[in-house]
Amino acid sequence: MASIDLFAGLLASTLRLATPLLLAGMAGLLSYQVGLINIALEGFMLVGAFIAVAVAAYFGAAWTGVLAAALAGAAFAALFALFVTDFKGDLIVTGLAMNFLILGGTAYLLQVIYNTSGTIAPEGLQKLPVLTIPVLSDLPFLGPVLFSHSPLVYLSWLMVPVTSIFLYHVVSGVHIRAVGEDMEAAATAGISVRRMQYLALMLGGILCGLAGANLSIGDLSLFRENMTNGRGFIALAAVYFAAGRPQMTAVACLLFGLFDALQFRLQTISNIPPQIFQMLPYLMVVLMLVIIAIPKEWKKGW
Amino acid sequence: MSDRLYQPVRVLLTLTIALIIGGIIIELSGKDALNAYQVLFDSAFGSQVALANTLLAATPLIFTGLATVVAFRAGVFNVGVEGSLYVGGFAAAWIGFTFTSMPGWFLIPAMILAAAVVGGLWGVVPGYLKARLRIDEVVTTIMLNYVAILFTSYLVTGPFLLPGMSNAMSAEIAPQAQFTRIIPRSQWNAAFFLALLVFVGVTVLLNRSTLGYEIKALGSNPIFARWSGMHVGKIIIVVMFISGFIGGLAGAGQVMGVHYRFIANFSLGLGFSGIVVALLGRNTTVGTLLAALFFGALRNGGSTMEIFTRIPRDLIDILQALIIFFVAVELSLSWLRWRRERLDRSTEAVVET
Repeated sequence: MASIDLFAGLLASTLRLATPLLLAGMAGLLSYQVGLINIALEGFMLVGAFIAVAVAAYFGAAWTGVLAAALAGAAFAALFALFVTDFKGDLIVTGLAMNFLILGGTAYLLQVIYNTSGTIAPEGLQKLPVLTIPVLSDLPFLGPVLFSHSPLVYLSWLMVPVTSIFLYHVVSGVHIRAVGEDMEAAATAGISVRRMQYLALMLGGILCGLAGANLSIGDLSLFRENMTNGRGFIALAAVYFAAGRPQMTAVACLLFGLFDALQFRLQTISNIPPQIFQMLPYLMVVLMLVIIAIPKEWKKGW
Repeated sequence: MSDRLYQPVRVLLTLTIALIIGGIIIELSGKDALNAYQVLFDSAFGSQVALANTLLAATPLIFTGLATVVAFRAGVFNVGVEGSLYVGGFAAAWIGFTFTSMPGWFLIPAMILAAAVVGGLWGVVPGYLKARLRIDEVVTTIMLNYVAILFTSYLVTGPFLLPGMSNAMSAEIAPQAQFTRIIPRSQWNAAFFLALLVFVGVTVLLNRSTLGYEIKALGSNPIFARWSGMHVGKIIIVVMFISGFIGGLAGAGQVMGVHYRFIANFSLGLGFSGIVVALLGRNTTVGTLLAALFFGALRNGGSTMEIFTRIPRDLIDILQALIIFFVAVELSLSWLRWRRERLDRSTEAVVET
């Protein structure tokens, strides 16, 4: 019985930890499909996490914070799109600049507004209430694993089929993929390349904002400098891993969530310094990229 | 040719715009921007000690900037200099606190070499993955940065924790292995001259050697590079080794000249600033050296500014980001994007034939 509970706990925390990855993963997928590799997922998440805390604490309402985080993500994504599509900035360089700007900017605001550095948990900040689904949450095993989470966790599950349907069955989504596949052909067919790039990036910005809000007020109730800790890049790696397929991206995100949950578990049951376990998710990302690359690329030689 | 002439003008324009926006941010935070910049300037250049501290702050940026330039020249987007810096720094520290009875003339070169080789090998991993398996180096180098930071942090929290210390740091390196400080009241040390040596080395390598020619050829036209019979994969790996090698030296410089031990998380983004420095320096070694000195001044001045004006030094990070934005959108850098596209396409084209 006890080991079953332990297992249920592990799965529940896997889903909890995979949530920001799923949301950011879908964001990365949208930009991947429009033909833009989005290095800035990390930054969009971080600004979402910060704005969620700041706004939620100011208004005393967690959901207002979530909404503001989504808007902030979209706004920064629009800025990114402006630099990338209109000013023709290098994708990778601009993405890195975006991350630096948000990392430095949130640290700066932390000091200017809250007079602290490191971590803030402003007074009156409330986290999102856990949404326990009636009846289902009473199920043995499945109840605690699946049906007792912060609302954004459920939203992240919903976003996987929604993104998939959007990309393959909705006109704008199909246009996004057309642009990604062949920009010139899409333009010839009368699709506005620029508009599709903005759309894909800004929808991604919203998702990243939500991912950040989940980190700061869904899971915890605080903001920490650089609290995303590479999750945006892990989400991007999941997209690479899946070669742009929505379901596989979700699977990869869940897998990375599992590694993260495992490392937390290992930390608590051993007295080895935790860093050795914290390395695990990052190492697994590299390892998994290697595993999928070998059958495709090895025989092609150098 | 005219483009070359305009370069310095453009760079100065970029810096001016960034500083103006920075000033607006300071004013919006309710502080006096002119006064802040005055303090920043004075504490970066105002006295002998200030100047020495600027050179001190520039030292790791010269290393990491040059490390980035070597990779960028070949069209390899190495974001992993930070990781090389950590593993290299630890390698140097380990020799320094383990073989304490060795003489300085042996320890100092051994530590420098160990840092460089370990840093280089750390770079070879993503280099090999890119060259052989075509795995994007941006993602792998970022992931491996986290691994390097956490692993070295583990080493000084666990097996090499200084007894009686709660902070994660190693024992001090042997006194005979510590770079002496050049002037009183500043930590400015010999690592600066090691950085200048690397500057000369990289300049010669890139502009005067066969390998430098191959790197440039690969960077500017990978299709031609392949067709002319170059072993592109091998060059990518060598480039990543050199890049990591210099990154490792950055770590050695900080350990041997500043901290005298390995401290967990000591870098705080020196490797990333190297990217900014390389971009601002237009991917040339001379430009990178100048950009590193400029950012050294900003970082040195920024921390004093924080003390006197209570403007967070994170402002410097914001300025860095703004500068990259401007550099990224400039036409003069569009070669980088063009080059990457060409590289992607050429690998596919070659594979298909």
